[in-house]
Amino acid sequence: MVGKIISISEINVKILCEDLSGIKIGDILGVDDENQFEVVEINDNIITSIPLKKVIGLKKGLAVKKYDDGIKIEYSDNILGRVFNPYGKLLEGNNFQTEKAKNVYDYKMDFKSVNVNNELFLTGIKIVDFFAPLCKGYKMGFLGGAGVGKTVLIKELIHNVYTSKGSNSVFIGIGERSREGRELIDEMKEANLFNKISLVFGQMGENPVERSKAIYSGVTLCEYLRDEKKQDVLLFIDNSYRFVQAKSEISMELNHIPIENGYTTTLNSDVSEIEERINSNENGTITSIQTIYVPADDLNDEAVQTIVSHMDGQITLDRKIAEKGLYPAINVFKSRSKALDVDIIGETHYNLVQEVLRYYTRYEELEEIIAVLGIDELSNDDKNIFYRTRKLRNYFTQPMFVAENYTNIAGEFVEIADVLKDVSDILNGIYDSIDESKFLYIGRIKV
Amino acid sequence: MDKNGELSSINEQINKIKNENNKYTLGNIIYIQDYIIHVIGLDDAFFFERVVIGTDNIGYITKIEATYAVVAIIKKNGEISVGDSVHRTNEPFLGIYSNSAIGRVIDIFGVDRLTDKKFKDILKLNIETTNIPIVNRAKVSRPLLTGITGIDLIYPIGKGQRQLIIGDKKTGKTQICIDTIVNQNDKGVICIYNAIGKTKKEVKQIYYELLKRGAMKYTVIIAAFYEDAPTVLTLTPYFALSVAQLYMSNKYDVLVVIDDLKKHADAYREIGLMSSKTPGRDAYPADIFYFHSRLLEKGCQHKNGGSISILPIMETKSGDITDYISTNIISITDGQIVLSSKNFDKGERPAIDYGLSVSRLGGAVQDANMKKLGAKVRSKLLTYLETRDIYELANADEMTDELRNRLFEGKKIVDALKQYKYSPITPNEMMEKLKFVEEENNG
Repeated sequence: MVGKIISISEINVKILCEDLSGIKIGDILGVDDENQFEVVEINDNIITSIPLKKVIGLKKGLAVKKYDDGIKIEYSDNILGRVFNPYGKLLEGNNFQTEKAKNVYDYKMDFKSVNVNNELFLTGIKIVDFFAPLCKGYKMGFLGGAGVGKTVLIKELIHNVYTSKGSNSVFIGIGERSREGRELIDEMKEANLFNKISLVFGQMGENPVERSKAIYSGVTLCEYLRDEKKQDVLLFIDNSYRFVQAKSEISMELNHIPIENGYTTTLNSDVSEIEERINSNENGTITSIQTIYVPADDLNDEAVQTIVSHMDGQITLDRKIAEKGLYPAINVFKSRSKALDVDIIGETHYNLVQEVLRYYTRYEELEEIIAVLGIDELSNDDKNIFYRTRKLRNYFTQPMFVAENYTNIAGEFVEIADVLKDVSDILNGIYDSIDESKFLYIGRIKV
Repeated sequence: MDKNGELSSINEQINKIKNENNKYTLGNIIYIQDYIIHVIGLDDAFFFERVVIGTDNIGYITKIEATYAVVAIIKKNGEISVGDSVHRTNEPFLGIYSNSAIGRVIDIFGVDRLTDKKFKDILKLNIETTNIPIVNRAKVSRPLLTGITGIDLIYPIGKGQRQLIIGDKKTGKTQICIDTIVNQNDKGVICIYNAIGKTKKEVKQIYYELLKRGAMKYTVIIAAFYEDAPTVLTLTPYFALSVAQLYMSNKYDVLVVIDDLKKHADAYREIGLMSSKTPGRDAYPADIFYFHSRLLEKGCQHKNGGSISILPIMETKSGDITDYISTNIISITDGQIVLSSKNFDKGERPAIDYGLSVSRLGGAVQDANMKKLGAKVRSKLLTYLETRDIYELANADEMTDELRNRLFEGKKIVDALKQYKYSPITPNEMMEKLKFVEEENNG
């Protein structure tokens, strides 16, 4: 026996210790198999711990003993085609009887083993490949407020990279909808891809401790595929913000002093600790796509900015664009990537992006002028920019495979070479006589 | 209720008294602040245990400290002062439901508010049930018909879906939900209307409306009024979902309306600040998201065939749906119907803002014909709404024929979507009304 419970609140159980020997931060203590806690603070002979499940029914004075030295997850080939909870237990079927479990906090990445390469990684989504292309080993953040299409975009990516790449991958669901988790599992099974992915879910109905642990377990699985299987791994995290949110909920219950908007004081170190583990080394690459929820549509939110500072690129989704029915609702001014570099994408592509951005900027100014004067008063040059930009905007919408239910149009994967040709044709006025609505929800232009 | 049931519940109580030698741990109040009290002496009480304060005030344990317990008062029937005794009951705080509650207005204490009498055939339910795991869920695919064209055709709701209804005061939020409940007549759906922080008059009115239209046959109203303690306001929606889960486990389809979540959030903030929880954004406790997410995650299509659909309502100020609580809820639900006061004033009923509304399930919950037409109408409507703003000032004579036709057709769609309250129509009637979208395209 380690000690006895002396106080209980929702996410905070304090234990008065008789014997502190061998107890360290991260250990799993418990009353029984159901009621277990993770040690987070030790103050003299009082241990503060966070309960892994609900505390309803717990009493003062109950005896506590040690169960495990930390949360562990399977570290073997058995992980593929499996769905885990944040504590490394299987959601379906019996748990493994092997000894191959690994502590989820163990790994640290040192500077010398970090690998960088700049091999393009195409997604087949026109607006992403054109404005903010990815490279292998990149971290890409999909930012957006509530309900502007982050999850659809990440699902489309999963769909597209699987059909073209076929490498193994890990999906971590944090604080998102259970319904979406269910759908993802079903879709992977239907497409015969389930045996190439392992999933960890700590969804929004679970307590903050569960939600905060999912990422550690998931990243450990990723490290297995990279270091032991020597693979290039894809890591999808939906949603990184929820990890920070869960940490803040815990920190509130532990009475820590918060920074702005109630975020935990350790925001920076929490995010760095985990993001720095997601890196490529000599064994293989980890390319990660992370959605980042933007609370109250506030892009300057401290947590959002902290996560973004770890990204190699960001795609920002905008409610104003979604409102116009233009999906994916990406704001091209607020999206960027380190790959937007002449050395990586080539001169043609680079120059086209600059030219399109110039058109978009002028279009925004023209919109204001039109609101006062009407279109007819514009100069011919401006009229061209106005109509061609509207065509470009429509062209950068795309029928998606995973959105067939909304659009009733079959999805399309578009090659970057086609995008470059189409964009330059629109800019050169080749399609001036075609109505703008003809460019909505198409793949490449077929005339 | 039958005699046997009554007898067995009395026997149960007698046994309990025998087993525990009629001894309950007693504690004493040392601190009072509104509805939060500190009690010493309840050393063996457990978390969330129901306690009785004095003779007939009820509370539950929200925190156990080394030397005292924190109790939140949920029902106050008399004066409470420092030194009063508090005794344990050895059971968690449970809500009380009754199978004869359908057709009535009830609270979480098992009282029929229409008569103020307690139900006799009672069922004790956990206020909060455990989360429904991913593996017990199934795909949401069956439509929950509201009878409203703008919803069933454009942004459909499925059984097991959570669809937020959001908008300013007086834009018809509650009306959409009432219309939906009325439209469930003879469809075998059990409806729960959960009022949070409404006035008694408002709830009475809703009761009469539902009664008049024959909807109380399959509806129960679970109400926490404005004047109820914030503890009651925060727990009632969980109880409503607990009731829904009871029906779902018996393979029923259940529809729960929660009216509204802003009041729910505010009551939780009050309790949080009163018990000195660190305030976060807009002074809400840091776990305000979890407070709503675990509630709304109860909405699902269960693999046993039953389902819980939830229509939470959220009130906004000056049409801003991007405030903290609204965006939290939007990020939980499977879509939102946004109501705009501008549309309402223009006479567009329902006052749906089609640009901002979303259904994340879309055509997955529609039949093939509705899905086909719906996708077409939605895309034409959105393009129209966007082009209308830009070309408002353009000279109609100089427009291309194509553009002029598009604007004309868009206007026709907006007109066809107008529909007044209590005038539900079937999917076939909807398709008939918007047939022209299909035809013009072919011609």
